[in-house]
Amino acid sequence: MRRLILGIAVVFLLSQSTSASASSLTADEVMKKSQAAFLYQGKDFRARVMMKLITKGGQERVREMAMMRKNYGESGGEQKYFIYFFQPADVKDMTFMVYKYPGKDADRWLFIPAINMVRRIAAKDKYSSFVGSDFTYEDVSGRNLEDDTHSIVKDAQYNGKDCYVVKSTPKAADMEYSYKLSWIDKISFLPLKEEYFDTREELYKVFTADEIKDIKGFPTITKRTMKNLQSGHMTQAAYLQADYDIGMEDSLFSERYLKQPPKKWIE
Amino acid sequence: MRKFSLVEFSVDHPKLVVILTLIVTLAFMTQFPKMRTDTNPKNMLPATSDVRVWNDEVEKTFGLYEDMMALGVVNEKGILNPDTLGKIKKITDEVLKIKGVAARDVSSFTTIDNVTVDNGTLSVAPLMMEAPRDRKGIESLRKTLYDNPLFINRIISGDGKTTAIYIPLEKGSNGKEIADRIRRIISKEKGDEKYYIAGDPVARDTFGAEMFKLMAVFAPIAGMMMFFVRYLMFRDFFLSATLMMDAMISIVWSMGLLIGLGFPIHIMSSMAPVFLMAIATDSIHIFNEFYFRYGETKDKRKAIIETMRAVSRPVRYTALATAAGFSVLMFMNIVPVKVFGGLVAFGTISLRLLSFSFIPAMFVFVKEQKIAKIAGSEDTSMGKASRFLKTLTGFGVHHPKNTVFVGLILLVIAVIGLTKIVVNNNLVEWFKKGNEVRVADSVMNKALGGTSLGYVVAIAKDDGYIKTPEAMRYIEGLQRRLEKLSVVGKTTSVVDYVRRINRVLHDDDPKYDVVPETREMIGQYLFLFSMSAKPSDLDNVVDYPFKRANIWVQLKTWDSEAMKNVIEAVDDYKKSNPTPMEMKPAGIAYFNLVWNHEVLWDTIKGFVLALIVVFGILAFDFHSIKWAIVGYTPLLFTILLIYGVVGFTLKHLDMPMLVLSTLSLGMAVDFAIHFVSRLRQRLKEAPGEPLADALLWTAARPGKGIMRNAILFAASFAVMIFSPLTPYITVGAFIIGMMLLSAIMTLIYLPALVTLMQGWLFKGGSK
Repeated sequence: MRRLILGIAVVFLLSQSTSASASSLTADEVMKKSQAAFLYQGKDFRARVMMKLITKGGQERVREMAMMRKNYGESGGEQKYFIYFFQPADVKDMTFMVYKYPGKDADRWLFIPAINMVRRIAAKDKYSSFVGSDFTYEDVSGRNLEDDTHSIVKDAQYNGKDCYVVKSTPKAADMEYSYKLSWIDKISFLPLKEEYFDTREELYKVFTADEIKDIKGFPTITKRTMKNLQSGHMTQAAYLQADYDIGMEDSLFSERYLKQPPKKWIE
Repeated sequence: MRKFSLVEFSVDHPKLVVILTLIVTLAFMTQFPKMRTDTNPKNMLPATSDVRVWNDEVEKTFGLYEDMMALGVVNEKGILNPDTLGKIKKITDEVLKIKGVAARDVSSFTTIDNVTVDNGTLSVAPLMMEAPRDRKGIESLRKTLYDNPLFINRIISGDGKTTAIYIPLEKGSNGKEIADRIRRIISKEKGDEKYYIAGDPVARDTFGAEMFKLMAVFAPIAGMMMFFVRYLMFRDFFLSATLMMDAMISIVWSMGLLIGLGFPIHIMSSMAPVFLMAIATDSIHIFNEFYFRYGETKDKRKAIIETMRAVSRPVRYTALATAAGFSVLMFMNIVPVKVFGGLVAFGTISLRLLSFSFIPAMFVFVKEQKIAKIAGSEDTSMGKASRFLKTLTGFGVHHPKNTVFVGLILLVIAVIGLTKIVVNNNLVEWFKKGNEVRVADSVMNKALGGTSLGYVVAIAKDDGYIKTPEAMRYIEGLQRRLEKLSVVGKTTSVVDYVRRINRVLHDDDPKYDVVPETREMIGQYLFLFSMSAKPSDLDNVVDYPFKRANIWVQLKTWDSEAMKNVIEAVDDYKKSNPTPMEMKPAGIAYFNLVWNHEVLWDTIKGFVLALIVVFGILAFDFHSIKWAIVGYTPLLFTILLIYGVVGFTLKHLDMPMLVLSTLSLGMAVDFAIHFVSRLRQRLKEAPGEPLADALLWTAARPGKGIMRNAILFAASFAVMIFSPLTPYITVGAFIIGMMLLSAIMTLIYLPALVTLMQGWLFKGGSK
């Protein structure tokens, strides 16, 4: 009985919040919620990621990795990422680590097993390709919300779902894109589609969420595509296994484990 | 006989014929607005040709751009100063905004990735974000540039005075528009810097513009020239205009047909109007004879029909020979040459159709007194011009042995000249010295790695082989070998990137600027590179499964043979260093080489075909193989002589000149046909006349038509000498020489040979 009441209460609260959001959320609030739903769900998160890099001509390259993420504080706050590569075969054991801070550039490290060397990587080039894919470093670990000005352009449907369409314009004069349109699901707050416009205001890159699954109650984008319309190149990323709140310890995110990642996390 | 009735029909219904002709002409003219040009050299060969299929595959595999422009910036005081660098940044920013530019792959100081290490931190950033303002900043930039072999001779010249911004274009974007936008951007900059725009799209568009000029300006001027020269010859405005219309109508018909069928105008077909204008001059024989006949009969209708009867055979056969000469081109592999052959063959046949309909119809409109006046002047002027021609022929008739002897000496000299001929198509040298395209090309070639690009694709048997140290060392060795060639300015491959990463990872220690020892290292360095650089940098040099590597070979010349040197060096290297990898050449430089060979073989094939076909037509027309041989000899002699001169004077023989060798046969044979036909006719009409007198008569009467024809022909091609494109100039000069020389040769050597061999020729009384 008690459970039922609780359930009703939850449903009621949820419906309250959605109906309220439909009318009164600002663009900044939408993006904040979206950031939380997209990049900060759970305390920690682990996935086996399969990335396919596909050229215009249909040639493929595969990147397979284990990705671990742990939150430190609120949504939009500090985060640590740990990535271990399985494929391509000759980079097996390579690892990559990111410390993400709000309001300042991230720290990144890379371990190169063939010469047993850890190198820091400067964060200057945020728009560099992530492992040769169409995703940038920023697409993987997210961008500080304060770096852009956001505005809701319109409400629209995408794949039958009601969305906010938010325009985000970088405050700094950026070389990479002049603005981005995001279709944010009004219920899950996940970005279902993003369109990037270059400095000539031409659409050149499109992100789509191709599959969304519920994992431990968190709606999670398990398949996504980033397509570069100009080069015809695209990258498909799929989460083969994904899990939240698995109790990752802080020590994982250290130089020691970069060189020798604990077996249990990278199976 | 059927043609004959056409003449009579035309004479009886002149208005109807003229109106019909004009209606057909208008119909063809409606196609003109659809005209488009094609100046892309790769369309010289069909899209299905092996070299194009392979090049397309290479382009696709390595994500290469078909079109690339380079903007050279030169400052004699050195470009590494705050002011020039500031301009480079500003210009680059502007260029990136141009629609149609593949902004993501523009290479300039502010966009090219520079991988560096600083206090153990790897950093990937554009070489220069902002122009440095102080000495220290400049010096550190200089060091960065010259420490990185990937930059030297690419974006900085050895002497520091030249840089280039490489601007790839999206497929289907308009090269000319983009070049114009770039010109506008640089025109706003003041200072010591000089700017040069080079690259295929610029050359192509300049070429296209010149082609239009040739057709829209030079062809009409040629028409006016001929009109003027003809007026001087006949002093009759109306008839000169008729001949001019005759030419114009055939041009409209053939160009209309070409455009209507959807063919683009290419360099060869752009010359077609001038060719047709010249070929139209063959109608001069009709006029020539008409005035003579009218002088004799004083009856216009009769004169017209008799004229047509007298000249119809040679006129028909010359047209046939010319058309055959051009149609032979349709058997070639070079697409624009094929189209050109068909185009001119069609135009020639149209011209002949007009000769038997439109021209006789127009004769009807001329007032009788006027014809009488001209015919009269024709008789008096016959004195002067014909005496000269008689003298000319007199040499041959009276001193046949000496004449032939002199000819043999000339022939030997010509053959020596022939052996000096080198076939080469250097597309940049198709522009005159001083032309923007050629200047830009030579400036960049002098300062940087070279503007003509070839590739050597290393193909392994197994995926991943390129990542092995053997493959890497092999490619590296090959690069060093190729760089020893004088035509090679710079080579770039995946090895250069791997070495760069190796060095940077080891704190920029030059000791590590080598191929790493293990496959794991190479794989991981490449992975690291793909994490940091623009993905395209790597894609351009290695394929996805690491089975193929693309070695960029920048050549300092567009000479087709340059790539041959590269291929030979590759084969040589392979012989002394065996490898499981296959090495295949590709790229535009390779295409030029293939095309060049294709042109040569095509020409030889075409020339032999033309020799046979033209000989066949001669033999058929003369009903005698002997006469065909005699008529043929002066012609061959002329061609050998002209190409002998070409061998001594020109460095290279290019496509249009080669194609002409085939055509010249079909065009120059006209003179022999006219001469021999009329001579034999004369011998029949005036039995008992000594051969020498018959020869002299032929020289004086149809010989005059021949000279007039040759002069008109030459006059129309003379305008091409003023074109800014060298192929047009050489073609113009060639045709002028060819026509005048073959007319003279026909008038001297034909009589000499006929005189020498009369016993053989007239054996069995086969007059």
